[in-house]
Amino acid sequence: MTMGTDAKEGVRLVYRRFSTFHRFNHYLAMLSFFGLVLTGIPLKFKESYFSKLLIDGLGGVEAAGFIHRTMAVINILYFVLETGYMVYYVAARKGPIFGDDSIVPGKKDWQDMKGMFRWFFGRGPKPALNRFTYWEKFDYWALFAGTILIGGSGLMMWFPEATARLLPGVALNVALVVHSNEAFLATGVIFIFVHFFSAHGRPESFPADEVIFSGYIPVEHYIHERPLEYENRLKNGTLDQVVTPAPPAPRRRLFRWITGLVTLFAFLAATYTLLLIVWPLVS
Amino acid sequence: MVGGARNSARELAKEFTFSSGRALFLAFSTLLIVVLAAAPAPAAGGAPLPQNQPVAPVTDFTQRCLTCHSQPYLGQVEVDGRAKSLFVDPTAYKDSVHGLLPCNACHTGFTPDPHQMVSNAEFFAQTAGEACRNCHDDQFEMYKQSYHGTLSRSGSAESEKAPLCVDCHGSHAIQKVNTLAYRQGIQDVCGRCHGGREATYLDTYHGKAVTLGRQAAATCVDCHGSHSILPVANPQSTLSQANILGTCRRCHPEASKGFTTFLVHITPTSPKAPLVVFLVAMFYLVLIIAVFSFGGVHTLLYIYRGLKDGLYFRKGGH
Repeated sequence: MTMGTDAKEGVRLVYRRFSTFHRFNHYLAMLSFFGLVLTGIPLKFKESYFSKLLIDGLGGVEAAGFIHRTMAVINILYFVLETGYMVYYVAARKGPIFGDDSIVPGKKDWQDMKGMFRWFFGRGPKPALNRFTYWEKFDYWALFAGTILIGGSGLMMWFPEATARLLPGVALNVALVVHSNEAFLATGVIFIFVHFFSAHGRPESFPADEVIFSGYIPVEHYIHERPLEYENRLKNGTLDQVVTPAPPAPRRRLFRWITGLVTLFAFLAATYTLLLIVWPLVS
Repeated sequence: MVGGARNSARELAKEFTFSSGRALFLAFSTLLIVVLAAAPAPAAGGAPLPQNQPVAPVTDFTQRCLTCHSQPYLGQVEVDGRAKSLFVDPTAYKDSVHGLLPCNACHTGFTPDPHQMVSNAEFFAQTAGEACRNCHDDQFEMYKQSYHGTLSRSGSAESEKAPLCVDCHGSHAIQKVNTLAYRQGIQDVCGRCHGGREATYLDTYHGKAVTLGRQAAATCVDCHGSHSILPVANPQSTLSQANILGTCRRCHPEASKGFTTFLVHITPTSPKAPLVVFLVAMFYLVLIIAVFSFGGVHTLLYIYRGLKDGLYFRKGGH
């Protein structure tokens, strides 16, 4: 491959993985998710000392509720944008819906997962992963489905009088169960069990993956991480579409700072969530 | 300070003019108080005597009682088979809404001889029957018509369990009922008899918001009523079929009939909950356990492989 030559000539190449639109959407999702968890989870763990501390720190239940609903509006906004993009992608035939480049789960994901477990136990090589791995697809679709459920149940409880005019009162009971459990599931998936680790904590990207913030990763990293996509693009001659010279140094520094700050905040958020959950169990 | 004590003592004397024996006792005790108040604070003796505390809001009658009853080591007496503490926290009393009232405003059966005890049941009957009523007649009349009031007069085996004023309001440390602290504790007061209901209430938005400091969110009494409380099955109840919509509309003016069918006292994970609620709760229980277990195992194995193969902190990426 031409990598070595590039390095010698002093041109750093990067792989553009995410467009500005997708990064913008991730910023919105991230901001609203942090805000919603921060102001929502204390309600679930109301007996916890940390819940009281946080709610008082935010200025009381009313203030926390106001922040929660503001963040909910931002959350709905990004969801509408993402869904709009999805419809546009399919309608305008921007690309294949199924197959190698797609976020839609396929047979390959099942094989990859089995392959990864074999690799974990030292019984085979790490599978050649495609543009989107099975855990990334899980993250994406879990968030997509979760947003519908948590957003829908949240809106029902935001406007209980209107809800009860259309549905029986027990719908509000269901909404509370859905909202509360879905929130707990999402918080656990994002902060502890899946997303933070699979995006930033795995050995390939530890301690933080800049790609969602800057949009690009160094080409060397890309080849290692997405060997199958790289091979396919090499074969199809579409590598030029995604490989570009690296942005100027100040821009790279800016994204490193953003990534660092977000990682720090993410670490604090995960610790705080664990404390919230563990505290009532030990005290 | 001494002058103030004399003035209050004179007023107090007026209250007791009906009995020459009381007047004699009062004259003696007034003298005692004046002497005590004028005397320098005791250098030794451990517990601070009442005259060391601000006298202004507390009458001398109170001060006289607290001479003994403010001592935490005063102990307990057994009344009707139950241990009753003789200790009254003077600070809590002065901070209570009744902090300005003398002890005998409520302890109406009190005789000058402190050792002539009134039995607990007798005192309680007096309290519910006259002491509170002297000032809170309206509330007492409502209470009399309520389930609690009816039960207390029923003479049945259950009547002893019926709450009197002090059971819900407390006694010496009595607080205004619209304070956040009181509202945050109401479900425990009700829960003493209606156990199990408080946990389900606390899991609703109302309960969560009150717990975390939202004063205006509904507590037990906002829906069920307070002094005139009746069982939900009673047509006069605030939660009867005829009245429930009006009760909800006190806070939710837009509420409709369907709104009133929201169920406060259910445990979603119990099979007794409505089927749809139970099934959704069970679905999430299984889903959360499955996702967290799989995600957790996947993560731990990934870390294990990463550490074993030295993939972490590899210089220059990969």
